[in-house]
Amino acid sequence: MIKSVDLTRIFLTEEVETTALRQVNFNIEQGEFVAIMGPSGCGKSTLLNIIGLLDNPTKGKYIFLDHDVTNSSERQRAKLRKQNIGFVFQNFNLIDELTVFENVEMPLIYLGIPTKERKQRVEEVLEQMQISHRKKHFPGQLSGGQQQRVAVARAVVSNPKLILADEPTGNLDSANGEEVMNLLSDLNRKGTTIIMVTHSQRDAEFSHRIIRLFDGQILVENFQSN
Amino acid sequence: MLKNYLLSAIRNMAKNKFYSALNIIGLTIGLVTFILIFLYVRDEITYDQHHKNYERIFRIESSFRIGTKYDNFAIVPLPMAPALQLEFPEIEKVVRFAGDDNLLVRIGDKEYYENHFYYTDSTVFDVFTHPLMAGSLDRCLAEPNSIVLTNSSAKKYFGNENPIGRIVLVDNDIQFKVTAVVADVLENSHLKFDALMSASTLAHRPGGEDFNSMEPMRFWNIGVYAYVLLSPNSKIETIFEKFPQFYEKYMKSLGDQINASFDLKATRIDKVHLNSKLSADLPTGNNAYIKIFSIVALFILLLASINYMNMATARATKRAKEVGLRKVVGAERKQLIVQFISEALLLTFIAYLLSLALTSILLPDFNTLSGKSLTFGVIASPDFLLLFFAISMLIGVISGSYPAFYLSSFSPLKVLKGHAGKSGKANQWLRRGLVLIQFFIAIVMIIATIVVSDQLDFLKNKDLGFDKNNAVVLEMQDTSFRKQAVAFKEHLLQNPSIVSACNSSGVPSRNLWIQVMLVEQENEMKEMAVILTQCDYDYPKTMGFKFVEGRDFDKNMGTDDTAAVIINETAAKQFGWGEEAIGKKINYGMELDRSGGRVMKVIGVVKDYNFNSLHNKIEPIIMFISPQPRFLTTVRYKEGEKNQALEYIEQSWKEFGNKRPFDYKILSEMQEESYGAEQRISTLFLIIASITLFIALLGLLGLSSFTAESRTREIGIRKVNGALTGDIMLLLFREFFWLILISFAFAVPVAIWQLTNWMESSFVYYTQIHWYSVALSGLVALIIGLATISFHVVRAASANPVESLKYE
Repeated sequence: MIKSVDLTRIFLTEEVETTALRQVNFNIEQGEFVAIMGPSGCGKSTLLNIIGLLDNPTKGKYIFLDHDVTNSSERQRAKLRKQNIGFVFQNFNLIDELTVFENVEMPLIYLGIPTKERKQRVEEVLEQMQISHRKKHFPGQLSGGQQQRVAVARAVVSNPKLILADEPTGNLDSANGEEVMNLLSDLNRKGTTIIMVTHSQRDAEFSHRIIRLFDGQILVENFQSN
Repeated sequence: MLKNYLLSAIRNMAKNKFYSALNIIGLTIGLVTFILIFLYVRDEITYDQHHKNYERIFRIESSFRIGTKYDNFAIVPLPMAPALQLEFPEIEKVVRFAGDDNLLVRIGDKEYYENHFYYTDSTVFDVFTHPLMAGSLDRCLAEPNSIVLTNSSAKKYFGNENPIGRIVLVDNDIQFKVTAVVADVLENSHLKFDALMSASTLAHRPGGEDFNSMEPMRFWNIGVYAYVLLSPNSKIETIFEKFPQFYEKYMKSLGDQINASFDLKATRIDKVHLNSKLSADLPTGNNAYIKIFSIVALFILLLASINYMNMATARATKRAKEVGLRKVVGAERKQLIVQFISEALLLTFIAYLLSLALTSILLPDFNTLSGKSLTFGVIASPDFLLLFFAISMLIGVISGSYPAFYLSSFSPLKVLKGHAGKSGKANQWLRRGLVLIQFFIAIVMIIATIVVSDQLDFLKNKDLGFDKNNAVVLEMQDTSFRKQAVAFKEHLLQNPSIVSACNSSGVPSRNLWIQVMLVEQENEMKEMAVILTQCDYDYPKTMGFKFVEGRDFDKNMGTDDTAAVIINETAAKQFGWGEEAIGKKINYGMELDRSGGRVMKVIGVVKDYNFNSLHNKIEPIIMFISPQPRFLTTVRYKEGEKNQALEYIEQSWKEFGNKRPFDYKILSEMQEESYGAEQRISTLFLIIASITLFIALLGLLGLSSFTAESRTREIGIRKVNGALTGDIMLLLFREFFWLILISFAFAVPVAIWQLTNWMESSFVYYTQIHWYSVALSGLVALIIGLATISFHVVRAASANPVESLKYE
């Protein structure tokens, strides 16, 4: 599903050149649950951004769903992204001015899905995430756990093939964190590929495989037994 | 402390070059506009205040009733002023001015044509203040054949030689000796003269007008501008109160005979320029326009101030951290307020300096545009500089205080946690409201500009009821040339380019002759004051009048030269004749006892034509054959052969020995001359509309940049969730689209209401306000507005969401 060849990402700021990723090679198959781990500044988020088609590599090759997207335009990437990828962030990234329902509905609007079907799918996914009783609330009125459930709902509402989660439990207490991890595991069991960046060993244990990054390079890949 | 504030203000400005530049440009343009309008308005409202006694000087004016017709004139009967002085001890001095157009002036072998020469009483310098440059003001106009020149005239006629005692020949070579030279009449005087000649000259000429005659008949003939100087503590109202007795004594018996009455009016001289709306007046200003311009000046200043407030609060998010830190380290709110206000003051001070420089540069162009002659000296004078310094600083304080109070209210705890400035919902609405007001004003101005220009087009293109094209009008000033008018006309008609020609006392747009005549009513002949044109047989044909009833003048009838009169439709209606006008009688030129006169019968009725500008409604007018040649000859030429025709006319003009230089007026332009004020207003509106729009755009630019910045996170989230760049652009444009649309919705009724008022009060004939003119103005505002914000919108929409989401 995903293949990278000598993926390198260099950031240029005024005078300093920072290499965030150095010739990274990996494959991720459909249906996998992969955790990316490593210390701060090791290049986890950069890698996730490239996988999520939010960023382009400086060198190397990136193939997403059999498309070589290394040099594709922002427009092409945006199109692939909205059809195939859902995002979950550490800080939820909900729009404060929109209600829970409207936040979850947003990706469907950009996919051009008709109102009636949108309503039905949003209701379904809210039900699934057990948050439908809060659908008219604004994000500011919810607890952290509830907000993250909304964010997950938004990520899955369009039935993406891939969910990218950037420290999904980082801002949550352990109980809420575990709940979110269970949601992700459920989705994975139903066939969705999940790639998750995390600091937490406990969260990583939900995955099939852990990619450990250090200074922009893959250190080890562990396959989990579960 | 102050140094710290100033330093921090300067650094802040340097750091935010974009916002600072927007602010300074906006304020500078606002101030320049304000200064120019201020200078203009001040000049207009201080007319004639340079006369030492201006509070006691009144111009006396006439209010006549003849039959049922009322008319107010700026001029009064010749003996009115001296008679008033004789009867009323409240009047200290009187002075009269009698002028003539196009006077031929000779000095040695040089010839000049002058318009501003007046015969005047010797008291003129007792009433008015005119600084003496040479000679002596004492008895300078007492003797016959004395003349006082202005400085410019003296320079023009005599160069650097001493003009005192020199001879000037005026009109039919009457000799005048220069007795004094006074300073040029100030630009803001309603009565401007180049020379004053002693009125006593006239009495000493055979057949000349006696300035001092008090015959009763003279009271019923208006002719001079007259001014009275009241004694200190006297009131003009006292004279009005006692005027009925005066009327009884001097005017009543003759007035009753001719079915007329007279009332005295007066205007203090400093009010003449802006408030006079009388017939036969000197050029005056327009009070309505002064009001419009004053309001506009204030609005533009308001717009510029709004920009500052808007942008300063927009930056609140970015400044919040600084505020929090300052508070944490011990700043009191008061100190922060002072700091933010000093920033505003620094900015306005820079704008103040720039605007003074810019005003000086623009002054010559502004003078051309406004017809004023303001000098740099006005701007450089200390009291002006001080006044504008004060005004600028006031703007600084006012526009700086809202952001100052808003910014300084942030709680340091919230700010440092990164929450302040984000939840400013009310603040956001305020900013939108301010931009809304700016666009409201800008759109009103755009609509006004388009409608005023529509009205100008309408004035120029309306069917006036006569053929105004392909005709020129010649003035027959030279009396010996005028006597040959018939032969001249025959000569002109020999040229193939010339279609027809006629001679008349007036032409459409120049018909001032009004006289009392007897008009047939049910059973009797009744006095009526009627406008008339004396002409030759070819006048109606040359003008292209259309007959609705009866016939044109016809030489073959044999009696048309004495017994026929042609009237217009309005005359037929107002005389009560309706459709039976043909054959009705008019007696012109009868004596006071109604004996004699020329009795004429109506032979034709022409379709109404606009013989005055479209400011005026059509009145009754009659035309009949003149026994002698009159002042104007109109020549109609073949379409496209103007040059050939003019060449031939000029050649003939010289062949007939006309002493005057060849000159002509184009018939179609004669009426358009009366729209000079509208033309000027149209240009000014265009400029003002551009300025208001520009300032509004600066505001919009600031707001859009702020919006784009403050919504980067939201934009990022949307993009991550599948929004394309186009979707985001649409989202951002939509907000501004609505803002402009709402301003438009408010602006339209206000603009239509005001413009309809203006047109109804200024014109009898006016254009409709077309829906497409209004729509066009909205479209202009929308397109320019959206184009302005597109830079920020495109930048924000195409940014990589990774960047924006990192801000958290």
